[in-house]
Amino acid sequence: MDVDSLIHAIDAMASDFLLLERGTVDVPTAGRLLNQLEIISGGSLEMDAEPLRRLSGGLVALLENVIMNGGGGEADFTALQKGITLMQEVSSGLTKADVPPGKDVGEFMSEVTQLAGDGFPEEATSAAKEQEGGGSSGLQDESLLRDFIVEGLEYINEIEVNILNLEQNPEDKDCVNSLFRPFHSIKGVAGFLNLDDIRELAHRLEDLLDKIRKDELSVNTDVIDVILEGADALKALIASLQKKLDGYPPGEAEVDLEALTARIGDVEEGNHAEKGVKRLGEILVDDGVITRETLTEFLEVAKETPAKKIGETLIAEGKATPKQVSQALRKQSNQASEAASIRVDTTKLDDLIDMVGELVITQTMIRQNPVLRATADEKLLRDISQLGSIISELQRTSTSLRMIPIKQTFQKITRLVRDLSKATGKKVNVAMTGEETEIDRNMVEEIYNPLVHMVRNAVDHGVEKPAERITAGKPEAGTISLKAYHRGGTIVIEIADDGKGLDAQKILDKAVGNGLIEAGAGLTEQEIFRLIFLPGLSTASTVSDVSGRGVGMDVVKKAIDKLRGKVDIQSVKEKGTTFIASFPLTMAIIDGMIVRVGKEKFIVPTSAVRLLLRPDRSECSTVARKAEMVNVRGTLLPLIRLHELFGIDGEQKKPWESIVMVVDSDNRSKCVMVDEILGKEEVVIKGLGDGMKKAKGVSSGAILGDGNIGLILDPEGLFDLSETAMAAKRR
Amino acid sequence: MEKKISILVVDDFATMRKVIRNLLKQVGYENIVEAENGEAALSVLKSRKVDLIISDWNMPTMSGYELLKAVRADDELQKTPFLMVTAEALKDNVVQAVKAGVSNYIVKPFTAEVLNDKISQIFKKTAS
Repeated sequence: MDVDSLIHAIDAMASDFLLLERGTVDVPTAGRLLNQLEIISGGSLEMDAEPLRRLSGGLVALLENVIMNGGGGEADFTALQKGITLMQEVSSGLTKADVPPGKDVGEFMSEVTQLAGDGFPEEATSAAKEQEGGGSSGLQDESLLRDFIVEGLEYINEIEVNILNLEQNPEDKDCVNSLFRPFHSIKGVAGFLNLDDIRELAHRLEDLLDKIRKDELSVNTDVIDVILEGADALKALIASLQKKLDGYPPGEAEVDLEALTARIGDVEEGNHAEKGVKRLGEILVDDGVITRETLTEFLEVAKETPAKKIGETLIAEGKATPKQVSQALRKQSNQASEAASIRVDTTKLDDLIDMVGELVITQTMIRQNPVLRATADEKLLRDISQLGSIISELQRTSTSLRMIPIKQTFQKITRLVRDLSKATGKKVNVAMTGEETEIDRNMVEEIYNPLVHMVRNAVDHGVEKPAERITAGKPEAGTISLKAYHRGGTIVIEIADDGKGLDAQKILDKAVGNGLIEAGAGLTEQEIFRLIFLPGLSTASTVSDVSGRGVGMDVVKKAIDKLRGKVDIQSVKEKGTTFIASFPLTMAIIDGMIVRVGKEKFIVPTSAVRLLLRPDRSECSTVARKAEMVNVRGTLLPLIRLHELFGIDGEQKKPWESIVMVVDSDNRSKCVMVDEILGKEEVVIKGLGDGMKKAKGVSSGAILGDGNIGLILDPEGLFDLSETAMAAKRR
Repeated sequence: MEKKISILVVDDFATMRKVIRNLLKQVGYENIVEAENGEAALSVLKSRKVDLIISDWNMPTMSGYELLKAVRADDELQKTPFLMVTAEALKDNVVQAVKAGVSNYIVKPFTAEVLNDKISQIFKKTAS
């Protein structure tokens, strides 16, 4: 740009300005002026005309201020006029040799600063204020509100779908935008309809998303959680609006807006820790050092003296000892370190664990390689052994990646107990121990249902009504203790109540009455208790809505069996009952017994094998010349010849010359005949693929230590298969 | 002030369009057409004469800002007054719109009176 065109541009701007009515700057003119100033500023930068560049910057600031304040006042107008005149003077000076820009420009700039302020108001405060007071009379119109409810809910659904996309593609700005818009629209309409709560909340969420859009905040779990929470809250607010319109009493919408807004604020500030880490005061309350009332009181005080930490104040006031506070601080920092984590797709984790499993197997195969066994190279052997220990460590770590504390499950149960005790009119407390005990996250969901069932049972049938308890000399409120710990490769979960305990006689009578056992069978108390796991035995004399009808402990047993777990009962009359359930830590590895039939190897879950025996010839019999039976300690059990069932050439043709496993499944037990027991091994379970899904009797496969493949037998399916085969034989 | 002018209201939120329509009716404007985004608005503008565009900023497919630029770049439409509706007066957005030639802007939520004032202002300027 040359000097002439610059001067020309400035003149054009000046004449545009002259056309303005004195005292007001209309928006289109302001737009034109801004565009002209942009050109001038660019030109003066090119020509190194610093005073001009400064002037145009000042004018832009003035204009922006005028636009944001809806027209501007007399002073703004005068200043603009002065600035433009100055610009003309300076630019005409450009053509002359001596340029006297200095003083006037500086004076003008300070005037600009005064008018426009250093930092511009980000929002047009005066314009907004002018509009605030008016309210939107006549817009609390019912049909509009109804439209808003329908459309608003649609938008929230859209949000819920999009948020999941965002979680998967945190960098995708389109995702952020598609989330931003619905909040924005809801906010806009809510403002017109005087729905202040909704408007405010949508506004906060919109701000949060705006920060993400501008890369001021990155997407993490906290962000996703708080947005989802916000969407839920909006939904609840809209639902309560609907209720109000339908003429129901305006019940409290169960939304703690204040808490939610505070959480959004925390997330915005990047206080990720806030969620995972409890505040010091909260920890002290949890520890029973101070009461909640004291905490609230002190937090109020702390607001006034923000410099002082709550811990210090508490110590100063003698509400807590320094030791208690420092303990709480340590707990807090432990939690903080726990909260430092990243999210990983679980399929990736599963893959990793799978691969490590393969690695372990391959390593075993290498170790068993004859070449290696024959070698005398000490270094090689040492290296291989080192490799082995690294691999074991790797396996331990990778398995632990998928482990999560059982705490969440316990907490869910606590909530459930609270609801149940309300429904039954009983008072029940929950005590937890070992809630940090870890378990495979794939198992967590699986064990939840059986646990819930046992807890329901304990509340419903175990704990007595308050009056009954007082008569029995017990505290009015019953206690259910949840306890978790590791034992070997299993997690043990104990559910204990301090209720009335099981009535062995009653169970026995019922079982005899139902024909489940014969009278005088001479069962031990333990065996009698175990009868409650049989279908069709419920000791509850009345059906309650808590435990329900027909769903008994047999369901629990079944579910636990399916998970290859075990359950036991201990009960003392008048003192209470304890269910002890143990589950494998993971479903990815199975403790199996390797058996051989002919040349084939099979794996039988160890948990299903009750005993191994070589029967005496006299203990084997054939019923109706078809069904073979083995007398196992007084009980006749059907015999399955695995080689016949699977069509394999087995070696042993007579049960008394081979090995018989007594296998349990659900409530059936059968004898399974195999050629040889090869040992016990932990194997990594491998799916057989969709094509083999319908194959009965085998559930999955595994690669054995020697590199061969073994099929894992599924007792339940195996029994069904043998019964079908037997039925076919009879025909 | 001529109240027979035809007004195109552009917003993706149907309830919002209805809100604006109601407000316009309160101050006597009856001749209103609607569009749900910039693209739809352009096809309305191609098919009939519109005296004033009232458009939301934030819309899917084609935003109000993009619509404004398209209108100002179109030989036939460039003189059509354009009132931009924004949620809050964010300086960056407003200045951007002003530079692109918006006739005026209005911040949500607004009353019928404020809307009426903005429209009058726009037409006063256009007339002079």
